[in-house]
This record gives sequence, structure tokens and C-alpha cells, in this order.
Amino acid sequence: MNFIGEIKFLVGAEKRLIDVLDEAQILPLFKSAVKAGIEFAAVVDDKNVPLWTLGPCPPASVVGEENWDARCKLLLEGEPVGAVCLRRGQVNPHGCEMMAHLIGDALNSIMANNLKRMLTTEIHTRVVNQSYDELRESHRQLIESEKKYRDLAENLELRVQERTEELKRAYARLLQQEKMVSVGQLAAGVAHEINNPNGYILSNLNTLRKYVGRMTSMLEYYRGLHEAAGSEKWRELKLDVVLGDVDELLDQSVSGAQKVKQIVSAFKGFSHVDDMGVSAVDINHEIDRTLGVLSGEMPGDTRIIKEFGVLPAFEGNGALLCQVFLNLFRNAFQARSEGLQLIITTEHEDDTLRIRFSDNGPGVPDEIHGRIFEPFFTTRDVGHGTGLGLTIAYDIVNGYGGTIEVENSKKGGAVFLIQLPATGRTDGQVR
Amino acid sequence: MIEFDEWEKRMVLKLVYYGPAMSGKTTNLLMLHDLLQQEGRGDLMVLDTKDDRTIYFDLLPFFLVAPSGLRIKLKVYTVPGQVKHDATRKAVLQRADGVAFIADSQVSETSNNFNSFQNLEKNLGFVGLDIEQVPLVVQFNKRDLDRIVAEEEIRRVWDPSGIPVFMSSALYGTGVLETFVHLADRTYAYVDSRYGLAENHGLDKQMFLAQLVRRKTDHA
Ligand SMILES: Nc1nc2c(ncn2[C@@H]2O[C@H](COP(=O)(O)OP(=O)(O)OP(=O)(O)O)[C@@H](O)[C@H]2O)c(=O)[nH]1
Ligand SMILES: [Mg+2]
Repeated sequence: MNFIGEIKFLVGAEKRLIDVLDEAQILPLFKSAVKAGIEFAAVVDDKNVPLWTLGPCPPASVVGEENWDARCKLLLEGEPVGAVCLRRGQVNPHGCEMMAHLIGDALNSIMANNLKRMLTTEIHTRVVNQSYDELRESHRQLIESEKKYRDLAENLELRVQERTEELKRAYARLLQQEKMVSVGQLAAGVAHEINNPNGYILSNLNTLRKYVGRMTSMLEYYRGLHEAAGSEKWRELKLDVVLGDVDELLDQSVSGAQKVKQIVSAFKGFSHVDDMGVSAVDINHEIDRTLGVLSGEMPGDTRIIKEFGVLPAFEGNGALLCQVFLNLFRNAFQARSEGLQLIITTEHEDDTLRIRFSDNGPGVPDEIHGRIFEPFFTTRDVGHGTGLGLTIAYDIVNGYGGTIEVENSKKGGAVFLIQLPATGRTDGQVR
Repeated sequence: MIEFDEWEKRMVLKLVYYGPAMSGKTTNLLMLHDLLQQEGRGDLMVLDTKDDRTIYFDLLPFFLVAPSGLRIKLKVYTVPGQVKHDATRKAVLQRADGVAFIADSQVSETSNNFNSFQNLEKNLGFVGLDIEQVPLVVQFNKRDLDRIVAEEEIRRVWDPSGIPVFMSSALYGTGVLETFVHLADRTYAYVDSRYGLAENHGLDKQMFLAQLVRRKTDHA
């Protein structure tokens, strides 16, 4: 049904009689009336219930319109809301009537004034509150939009930073890729150029050894034919020593050429010119390989201690992994040029391959700890290192879903820890 | 919005005289007060004014009782027209059941009328009322003055809207009752359609208007 009793006006809500009159305003009037001889005075509401009274307490029977001698209506906004009622006592009926109207008029104007005051206060408070609310609302909106812009600005900076970072990394990767390609091509070319001549040097040396053997036999045969002169000349030419030396010379030459052959093949293997794709990689082997090409860069008194564990084959690109190790080796070589001791441990635990490079260098200072994998971050003098080595290592490891981190060991020195997911086939265990 | 308390058998209706500053809203109420008998209405309450300009509002209350015993209070308010009192206008406009827009006929006031009408539309929206729904009449006041917009021009503009327009000269009492009666008429229709004043309370439109508009005999 249409019952909306709860709804109230915010301004100009309906007032009741008791809202717009109070005892302090009524009593003086009633007192005067009683002094003038009125027996009993009351203000009753629209249901004739007394609200304020003066005089001896009226019997219940008094509460009824017919029991009063004089009444004057009280109007609130034109609506009858009650009345002033009098029992005349010693006052004559006409005088009582007069008095009722006098008091009624006075109360009506008091009510009007009170109502006006209340309405003024109400609207004033309402307007002030509303303005305050509006102010707060606009303040809130301001703060909100400010926050939005601030967020935007902050994010912008962050995003620019991120993008810059990404760009740097992309650039580093590009550089690295290019370098790898050219290194690979170079390696392939050089390997070919060296392998060919080195090949016939080796085979010629072997042939030469055979020939030298034959010539030695011939020389000994001649010496037998001309005992005296032959022995004289033999001694003069120190052929005993020479022939003894020839063997050694040839041995050394062969082993030298073989060494060249080894280095070239290690170089080829390292640059992985033959396979740039993914294959089952033996990490321990790749570390050895990398070490092989670095022998020239390694400070003379370096001690490398390998503590290799049994690792499953790693499904990846050997060339890339060699890059990782190369950069870690170089980093170690630069960390300490004399008396470097580098311990390389590899281990396999559950799903993780762990490779540790622990050096006895000065360690990584705290202030650069967080930046060491950043592109172009280098503590080295210009010309030494691109500042990309560790970034490249980081990127490659990251690309395999692994992590690389650095810590300082308790004994001093840096420990680089690479953790790779053991993706490799477990059947292909390689030592 | 009609305040209706079925339990208490009370209904409170609210009419608002809106319009630009100095258009004659207060004068309309003063005239209504003068033209109508004391019977059935309260006194005109003119809240604080400053240089005769309304700061809060004016209020002329009416009271009538339907045959069913339903007691109806109808309160007619004016708003302050000055632009700066917008918060007060909003407060007074809350839950209005009908609006009389008092425009100033003077040519110079055209844009003020326009702005004020826009303000009315906006504030009705603000207090959750729809200008299309609220009973509305328009009064062009100060017809006694010289430089005023011609009636044909006004009709040309307003008639298509379907809103009733009245010419008045509130200062001299012309058009004031007409405006009020039409607003009351429209408001009755609106309330009757929702609460069945005639059907449920035996109060038809004639009775409603007769109780509301009791002309003083000396003015008739
Ligand atoms: N000539 C003429 N003057 C009028 C008429 N109606 C009102 N006025 C005058 O216009 C002035 C403003 O009238 P108000 O009734 O106070 O105007 P208002 O709309 O209440 O103004 P605010 O309270 O400021 O919003 C007064 O000086 C009135 O005497 C009219 O019909 N003709
Ligand atoms: Mg005014």
C-alpha cells in the first residue's frame, strides 16, 4: 500500500505542537491567568490530550471538549493542532473567553516565530551541510583524479624504465648474436684454413719420419763400406747426435701440429659452427671446451678445480651455454690476475642442475650487487669488457627458465650460481 | 514527492516557485496571501531576507481535509533566485510535487530566464526528479512594464512544449491566482492518479481547488 510514513522532508519537515512550543513560553501566561482567577489552564493536542497544564490536577472527566469553559484553537501552518483550554473558576464566562483568546493568540504567534526560527536553522544547516558535502565530494574527486594522474605519471616512468631495460637487453642480444655469427663464421673459415695445411704438415711429417729412417739406413750402409773415411766424416758431422735429434724434432713437430689440430677443433666446437640448434648438451663437457679456448687468456698461475657431478644431458644450445661459461670465466680472470683459484662445481638435484663458479677474488661490492647483470654495467676501465658479459649470461640462463645469481662467499670471493631446470632426457646420462 | 502517511491519514504536498532573481516569486506569494482568506491557510512565512531578496525561502502553507478524513497540507515555497544560492535552491526543491517557473518578461532578462530554467532542469535532476514528470506551469511576470517580450513571441516559444504559460503582473495581483490554480490543478491530477484522491478519499478536483482557493470576498 501507499504507506510511506518513514519518509521525512530534509527541509520543512512536519512539526508537531510539542516541537514548536515549550513550557517556559506557556507557563508565564498560565500563571497570569490563574492569578486572575482562572481555575485550570491547559494546552491540549488535536486529540484533546493535555500537554501542559496549570492548576489542580484535572479529573479524567475534564479531558473532553465539553468540560472546558473556553477554548482557543492553535494553528500550525493553518492546521488545527490543538487548543488552549480554560476552566473559568471565579472568572466570568466572557472574561474567560477573552482570556482564552488572548493566550491563544500569544501562543499562535510564539509558535509561528519558533517555526520560522526552526526553518531558518534547518535550511541554513542543510545548505551549509550540503555545501560542505559538495565541497568534500569535489575534494574527493580532485584527490581521485590527482591520484589517477600520479599513478599514470609513476607508471609512465616505470614503463619507460621497463622499456629502456628491454631495449638495452634486446640491443645486447643483437650484439651478441652478431658477434656469435661472425665468430662462428670466422672460426669455420680459420678452422678450414688451418686444418688443411696442418693436415698435410702432419701427414708429411709422418712420411718424412719414414724417409728419414730410410736415409739413416743408407748413411749407416755407406759408413760400413768406407770404414776409415766414413767414420771420420760421421764424427765430423756429429751424425750420431743429429740422427738422435731428428727423431725428437719430428716427434715435437708432430705433437705440435696435433696440438694445433686439437685447438682448432676445440674452437670449432666452442663456436658450434656445426650445430646452432638445440641438442642434448653435456654441460661438463661444454665447460671443459670453453676452458680449452681460454688457455691463452688465463693468468699463468691460475688453479682451476673442477668438481663435476653426474649430470643428465641438457636440452639446449651448446654455443649459448659456452657463452655463459666463457663470460663467467672471463669475469673470474679479471677479478684476480694473480693467484686465481676457481672452483667449478656442477651437481644435479631433483629437477635442477646447479653450476657454481667460486673464485677467490675481491667479491662483489654491495653497492653494485643489484646492478651486476644490467646491460652495459661495468666496473672495468673503458676498453676492458663491454659490460655485456654477465648480461648475456643472465639472458641465456633466463631463456632456459633458469636463474643466475651472485653472492659473496664467507671466505671472500664471488660465487656465481646458475640453476637450470633439468629438462634433459634422463636416459642420456653423461659423465 | 508526495509525503503520504496512510496510517496517520496525512499527506503533505509541496509546490515550489522557481525562477531567476527578482522575477517576482516572493511577490506572487505575498499576493496569494493577500488575495486568499485566512481560512484554510497559514500565515506567509518570509524567512530572512537581505535587501528584500530571498536568502532562504518563503513559505505559504495551506491545510485542507478530505471527506475521508485525510488531512492534506500543501506548502508553497519560493526559492532564492540569485545564482549564488544554488545550494538553497536544491534543498528547497527536494521532493517538490509541482513547480511554477516565474520568468521576468523584460527583454533584458531573457538570458537570465533561460539560465534559470536550465538550472531548474539540472537541479530537478539533482534531487531525483524529472522535468517531464513534475507538474509544471510557467508565468511571465511584470507584464505591466514597457520593454517586455511580446506575448505572441512567448507563446510561439512555449506552446510547443505543452507547458501552460500565464501572463501576470504580480505586483498588481493579476495572473497570480490563475498561475496558482493551474499548478494546483496539475498537481491534483498527478496526486489523484497515484493515490486516488477522488476514489479513496472522496476529494474531487473541484473540492480540492475550492478548499485551496478561497478568495476574499472584497477582492472578488
Ligand atoms: N513592475 C513590476 N514589478 C514587479 C512585479 N513583480 C515583482 N516586481 C518587483 O520586482 C522586485 C523583485 O520581486 P521579488 O518578488 O522580491 O522577486 P524574487 O523573485 O522573490 O527575487 P529573489 O528573492 O531575489 O529571487 C520587487 O521590487 C518587486 O516589487 C510586477 O509584476 N511588475
Ligand atoms: Mg524572493
